[in-house]
Amino acid sequence: MSDGVSDAAGAPLLAVRGLVKDYPGVRALDGVDFTVTAGQVHCLVGQNGAGKSTLIKCIAGLVTPTAGEIAVDGAPLPPGDPAAALARGVATIYQELDLVDDLTVADNLFLGHEQRRGPLLDRPGMRREATAVLDRLDHASIPPRALVGGLPPAAKQVVSIARALTRQARLLIMDEPSAVLGSHEVETLFGVVRRLTAEGVGVVYISHRLEEVAAIGDVITVLRDGRTVAASLDPATGRSTLITAMVGRQFAEAFPDRDPDRRPGPVVLRVEGLSRRPAVRDVSFEVREGEILGIGGLVGAGRTEILRLVAGVDRPDAGTVAVGDHPLPPGRADAAIRAGVGLAPEERKAQGLWPGWDLVRNVTVADLRRFRRRGLLDRRAERAEARRHLRSLQTTPDDPERLVSELSGGNQQKVVLARWLLRNCRVLLLDEPTRGVDVGAKAEIYRLIHRLAAAGLAVVLVSSELAELAGLCDRILVVADGRTTAVLDGATATEADLLAHALPHDEEATKA
Amino acid sequence: MSTDVSPPADVAAETAATAPTARAWRRIQMQEAALPVVVILLLVAGTIADREQFLTRDNMLTVLTQASVTGVVAVGMTFVIATGGIDLSVGSMLAAAAIAGGLVGEQQSLPFMLGALGFGLLLGLVNGVAIAYGRIVPFIATLAMFAGARGLALWMSDKTPISLLDLDVVRDLGRGRVAGIPNAAIVFVLVTVGGWILLNRTRYGRHVIAVGGNREAARMAGIRLRPIVTSVYALSGLCVGIAAVLLSGRLGSASPVAGNLLELDAIAAVVIGGTSLAGGRATITGTFLGVITFGLLFNLLNLLDMPTELQQLSKGVIILAAAALQRRDG
Repeated sequence: MSDGVSDAAGAPLLAVRGLVKDYPGVRALDGVDFTVTAGQVHCLVGQNGAGKSTLIKCIAGLVTPTAGEIAVDGAPLPPGDPAAALARGVATIYQELDLVDDLTVADNLFLGHEQRRGPLLDRPGMRREATAVLDRLDHASIPPRALVGGLPPAAKQVVSIARALTRQARLLIMDEPSAVLGSHEVETLFGVVRRLTAEGVGVVYISHRLEEVAAIGDVITVLRDGRTVAASLDPATGRSTLITAMVGRQFAEAFPDRDPDRRPGPVVLRVEGLSRRPAVRDVSFEVREGEILGIGGLVGAGRTEILRLVAGVDRPDAGTVAVGDHPLPPGRADAAIRAGVGLAPEERKAQGLWPGWDLVRNVTVADLRRFRRRGLLDRRAERAEARRHLRSLQTTPDDPERLVSELSGGNQQKVVLARWLLRNCRVLLLDEPTRGVDVGAKAEIYRLIHRLAAAGLAVVLVSSELAELAGLCDRILVVADGRTTAVLDGATATEADLLAHALPHDEEATKA
Repeated sequence: MSTDVSPPADVAAETAATAPTARAWRRIQMQEAALPVVVILLLVAGTIADREQFLTRDNMLTVLTQASVTGVVAVGMTFVIATGGIDLSVGSMLAAAAIAGGLVGEQQSLPFMLGALGFGLLLGLVNGVAIAYGRIVPFIATLAMFAGARGLALWMSDKTPISLLDLDVVRDLGRGRVAGIPNAAIVFVLVTVGGWILLNRTRYGRHVIAVGGNREAARMAGIRLRPIVTSVYALSGLCVGIAAVLLSGRLGSASPVAGNLLELDAIAAVVIGGTSLAGGRATITGTFLGVITFGLLFNLLNLLDMPTELQQLSKGVIILAAAALQRRDG
């Protein structure tokens, strides 16, 4: 499939060869090969972190690859140049649609390449054109004058596709286009995709829903650890075969051995019927002292939302959270913290830290009360306590007066942990604690999590890395579409088990 | 090894973050050094221009006294801006507080002072509740108070100033001296020191800056946002009440048109002092120096018989220069 290089006429629409992308401490892509021909729907599957998003960002020119080549019609694309990719007909529709809600459909379609008559916008012309493009997608019912913000999700999706078409897109990359759609809306989307491929447009379709992939794809490529592990599979390939190809990641990290002496104590955290629709639906679980409970699932399955509800950051529609025997008032983060719940959020810098503050302040901020002496802060005691906890976590550099923004990801995570240790919390909620952390530091954080559990903390660990859950947790709660789909025993669960429960099921299509 | 998008993005951001941080630090330090330098330059320029009168104890105390009203208000404003807010209503609230004091205490000093302080606090509280609980953006909420409180002051006073010539204590606060030092200057310094301690040495102050620096992180650290946000506007109102007493004492009357453009002077002083309008970085010392800078400038140009237009112009130049020093790296 790659010998079209010399002959432009026979060249595939898109040819990616040996693509490598390195980030400090992380190799996101490790030699990906990927080919799309005109009129083809090429599905791309892989678990969280397999490199799908990095790959499409490289193709779209948003990310500059470290090595490798991307060619459109046999001619290489200049790396890291989004304008060039667009000009060559490569259009990408991201998960978070980049539409402007306060503009009309027609304005959105021509955003950035408006048609003009003299110095003024040619609005009637753009509306006519918009109608034509929408008609081509069989969606002439969407009014070009309507504000995008008022459209249902499926219509927004169509507008995004139409927008790509106004730019003469010949290769359309769609990242999880069905994530926000209901099942009948997915049918509509498929109709649009089939129309486009009939016109010779090539489509890259990324989805976690394997039934969808089987229904719309012409070929399937599986990525794992930044590599192509199975290229151009037949769409009839069975679900279990795909799952097998998707797991089996090689981990350099050593997970700490399970400590046979660590015995979970009494239940500390009790969550019952917790709901905040649509993200979380009727989730219940218990965590014991000294226990590590994992929450697994795909990105967007509702994992983070569950933690936020437990921590009182968001208010649930229904359900209760209790620590010990005390039910927590809903939506009160301060009360949850007083009861001993500490949350290390996913977006460390945006939600967990004050990057311009030194380590001391970042550590003590949740428990300043204890440093008050006659109304004033005892800064010496504050510093000493912060340093004690930072040291116990082996934070480097060992200088509490550093700005937290100068620390590495792993050490920033320790600063957040130190905050909750200083607060004497009983329940630690960790949301993707190893995200953005390099391999060596990961192993250290794993050991820390075990140590904290051994000291009697109840730990709830959310992670996108299935291996991390299987390697660290005593029990694993798997969620999909906001619902619990399984509770697995950590000692015996495999990544394939986890993935099988994490992938959403479409009831009708599962039989295949 | 990684989740799909974020770790690379995160890591990339991290490596990129170090350089700007270092640069930002240099900028902050430069700016912190800049204002004292400006003050010294003004002192030197004043001494050169007018050897006899400028750098005398009396003249310096005059500067401090003249700056006291703006200065006290600017201390409260620093707390508001530290949370990322703004208070446009201080000038109008000052007039309303003075009039309210005059109505309850035309004959006696204590009722006057309690009335002015209490009414300032009350109006500030209204601002705070509208912003924190009513979720009205600070600019609009205090713009409404800017208009409303002025109207209230004019209406309550029937558009005429209330004479306070019988209130010895109040007049003494405005114009009197203790051991040769004007009382107004003493009050200004006390409020500044109090504000400094509150901001830098108490749990409350730390929470104020935490809320301004990272609202989401503050919430997740268990800090209750709404009480904190409400309180800074109340504090601003209280400072306005104190300033109302000082100004009324100096003038010998409570005037419904007092405090015009006070908000601009106070905000300008806070901002050139180095407090970030985006919140999360606040310095009372900087605010004090900012107030003093404008005070010295005003005093010097007066001594030199410069027209007021020129004072306005130079004020504009200073604000712009300070903002240029403060701007983020692009």
